[in-house]
Amino acid sequence: MALPQSLRTSVTPLELELIASEHLVEIVPLITMEKTAFISGAYGPLRPPAKCRIPLWMATNLKLKKKCHIVAPEWLSVDFLQERLTRETSRPEFSKLPFRFAEIAKVILDVASDDVQNADKIKSLLKDLREARQAKSRDGLQKLDHSELSLPNLCSMEINEIRPFFIQSMGILTQLFREPSAE
Amino acid sequence: MDNDYFSIDAILAENQKIQCTFKVDIPDMGHLAGGSDREIKSLTKAPIPIWLAYIVLFSDWADFTIPSPFGIRVRNALKAEPRSVKLSNLVGAGGLWYGFGKMVMDILSEEQANGISEVLTKAFKGRLLEVIDQAQHFAALGPAGGGGPSTDTAQSFREGLDGTERELFALAQESAKRIKRWHEGNDKARR
Repeated sequence: MALPQSLRTSVTPLELELIASEHLVEIVPLITMEKTAFISGAYGPLRPPAKCRIPLWMATNLKLKKKCHIVAPEWLSVDFLQERLTRETSRPEFSKLPFRFAEIAKVILDVASDDVQNADKIKSLLKDLREARQAKSRDGLQKLDHSELSLPNLCSMEINEIRPFFIQSMGILTQLFREPSAE
Repeated sequence: MDNDYFSIDAILAENQKIQCTFKVDIPDMGHLAGGSDREIKSLTKAPIPIWLAYIVLFSDWADFTIPSPFGIRVRNALKAEPRSVKLSNLVGAGGLWYGFGKMVMDILSEEQANGISEVLTKAFKGRLLEVIDQAQHFAALGPAGGGGPSTDTAQSFREGLDGTERELFALAQESAKRIKRWHEGNDKARR
């Protein structure tokens, strides 16, 4: 109970970002590096201009030192996101997106927006997508009941956002609900 | 809400009084009824806090009437529009309407308890969305606070939140704020 209130209920967005940083991304290195062992595994070798898959944290680090270009994942493109947004707004269920898309997209757009085509358009699409999905999780709240709730395809950041009050309200409903006894 | 021994909320909710009618004479306990009589006569009515009422009721020394916050008037109002009822007015400032209701429900017999449970659950569900919506709205406003005129209904709804809902409001607001901060921050410097 030594943790501050805000950390007790759920993990912070920054922690999620840290977890997402283990995700592998493609880069085009600008330097040569031998295969190197890290705690999470061995990555490399880097031989420009061959593409290479390394964790996001490493890509971020290299990018900030201007030693690589990050290749945006294929879902981080105007076409893909536009298609998902259309689907999101036209259908009642959540559309399928990479589980940690919000974190990865933010990190890449933060450090390597020059490597992404149409970064501004993508940013606004992501925002629209987020709002459309938020509206849906709000609807999920209406369907909340004391025992279960199913919102498939919800992504990590969204789960994290709704977790504190969904859990609390379900807890309250459990208390208020009374099993009609079979008599 | 829960009946945990260490739960402050439970203790506060137990502090609500319910109206009891004594069935038997109880000697030397007149001070409990607040009067100057030495004894409590049968058929005396006295408001008794819930924590004391358990033993009195279960020992069959008294009957109790369903307290007015769960009475027929409030029920009808809740049925008409859950969001327009000011729960905090029913149980006093910072009161726990749901917690109180839960305790009353636990004392009652099967059928009545189911009735109360339904009232509580419906009220909670009916109000939940508005609580969360407003919390997220306020989180989006940022540190400057409520700029622009807020509507009267929203304002009076907020004033009518009971303790349990207030907690939810705070949770939702805090969570939305955190996500917003993260989305808007560009912390290149951190890396």
